[in-house]
Amino acid sequence: MSESNYHKNLYTAFGLQISSDIQLPELRTEVKAEAGPDQVIIAASSRKDWPAINASDHSTPSLQMIPADWRLELEGIGWFRAHEGRFISWQRWDDSVSDRDLRTFLVSSALGALLIQRGFLVLNGTALVKDGKALLLLGSPASGKSTLAWCLHQQGWQLLSSELTVIDEQGMVLPGMQQLKLWYDAAEELMLDWQQLPLVRKALKRYAILPPDLSVVSEPMPLAVIYGLNRREQKDKNKEEVKDKEEGADDPDAICAWQVIRQQVALLQLRNQAFQPRFYRGMGKEQQLFIQAAALVKRVEVHRLALPDGVKLMKKVLKDKSLEDPVSLAPKQSQAESPEEE
Amino acid sequence: MTDQDNGYWYLASYPKSGNTWCRVFITELLRLSEEDAEGELNLNQDVETGSIASSRHWLDDQLGINTCDLSFAELDPLRGRAGEKAWLFAEGERFHKVHDAFRSPDSMGRPVVSTSGCKGVVYIMRHPEDVAVSLSHFFSWDLARCVEFLLDPMAGLVMTDRHGGHQVRQYMGRWGQHVISWVDQQQIPVLVMRYEDMLAKGSETFLELAKFLDLPNQPELVNQALENTSIDRLKKLEDQVGGFSEKPEGCERFFRSGRTGEGAEKLSFEQRQKLASSLDVVMKRFDYRGPQDG
Repeated sequence: MSESNYHKNLYTAFGLQISSDIQLPELRTEVKAEAGPDQVIIAASSRKDWPAINASDHSTPSLQMIPADWRLELEGIGWFRAHEGRFISWQRWDDSVSDRDLRTFLVSSALGALLIQRGFLVLNGTALVKDGKALLLLGSPASGKSTLAWCLHQQGWQLLSSELTVIDEQGMVLPGMQQLKLWYDAAEELMLDWQQLPLVRKALKRYAILPPDLSVVSEPMPLAVIYGLNRREQKDKNKEEVKDKEEGADDPDAICAWQVIRQQVALLQLRNQAFQPRFYRGMGKEQQLFIQAAALVKRVEVHRLALPDGVKLMKKVLKDKSLEDPVSLAPKQSQAESPEEE
Repeated sequence: MTDQDNGYWYLASYPKSGNTWCRVFITELLRLSEEDAEGELNLNQDVETGSIASSRHWLDDQLGINTCDLSFAELDPLRGRAGEKAWLFAEGERFHKVHDAFRSPDSMGRPVVSTSGCKGVVYIMRHPEDVAVSLSHFFSWDLARCVEFLLDPMAGLVMTDRHGGHQVRQYMGRWGQHVISWVDQQQIPVLVMRYEDMLAKGSETFLELAKFLDLPNQPELVNQALENTSIDRLKKLEDQVGGFSEKPEGCERFFRSGRTGEGAEKLSFEQRQKLASSLDVVMKRFDYRGPQDG
């Protein structure tokens, strides 16, 4: 690590000082790095120097994990290592791999693994802020978080963290990765000038929206509400959810939200949307995840949010709705019944 | 238990060839073999035989990345690395549906599914004329388009790279290529099941399936599971749950006719001839007749 130029680029994200030898425009630039327990170093390193590990049962051919060490082998891109909650090492697969290719996985999988090592609650979510309060959109990759986030951004919401979001013990959402990735179809339907936008990676029809095109918040913000995204074409097999659905639920053009009243169900939803649950298991942090998620559902309401499938329609119906107030999104009957159920 | 004891299986097929029927049968057989089995199968709650091999969620978990960050061409060679630990899942979840061909043009000669720890594949096939009719109902396409699809060497599911989705691209190729890719591969044991035999010789065919998959295979149990999953029974079960969850939007019902010979009735002579002239070698090998064969 000593030969590296890791001090070249300084960033701040998730409450950490990040020194990197590779540019990470997805993170907020920091002027001065301060060495200390909150400093994270990202630097090239030969994987031959990485000590052998006796990987846990939750490892896979691509992922090798023990409690304080995480390795990813991504053929065609490179090798990544996060260890001791402080260091991320990387090695390029070959010279054809660009920095842009590497950083895509550095700021997602590798940084996410490091955050889990540090004991953070990391969720698959995008957080936005309005009037000093944060909302969290939870959903698996490709569930439409970024598209919805962009629509909300157009209504004055500011981005706090995208893709992976960290919530601390006080229920504060920490500023994280500040970039929205939109697919070609979404960019087209949102009438964005996609030809002017940088590609997420050269091989993809996915575009990155970054500041200054994106208004962002750089301070931790209190989490006010969590929405689990439901795309309409997805049929849901969850009994409780079916039971929860009331009048208006089947209108494909509507936007509706239902509070998940049972804390156990809310807890499961959070656990299922943990960032890479296998990382938690492989690094022996599953119990930590449960405890943190349980504490969070006691503090913050979790709602399921059903959205129309089409991007244009989503944009249109959002115009008259306020996600700050989930009760206003409840279907009529449910709205009347919710207080009694509580 | 060793990894070998806990191996996993693939249920591979070209779409609309009886794969779901097979999965429902396995679910029912396992359900009936439980000591406290009672009631009947709920299609939308019980049929969980393991992730489809093209599930993005599954691949993200196995590969440790957001697969939206890779192109399909980059992803295909990596997909075979997902699944080695499938045996860690519950008993009923060791049977993975696959619609991909065994290899794709982008997979660098490798299988697109993991073969390590895999105990075998059941390849389910159906007369391509009947597949065309069933595809037509499923996708709401006209029959001419379905015939073209079956003959398209680059055919696949989820081909677009312009938006994300819950499944990744599944290259299938021409119907005959798909069959051969699985049936002639040498890496995992294969049991070929013709849909026509599943219908005409149900007891025998499903007993063979149960034995191949190391499932409970007492003949009376297999027959009971078969009876409980007949097409008429499945149609009734689908009505009970208000539509099978795997039914696409616009498709009236998932379990529709299930019978054989519909293709010969509904396709034009020219369409049948077109299929036969391109697929004749594979059709003949598996005893499927074309319009000229009477």
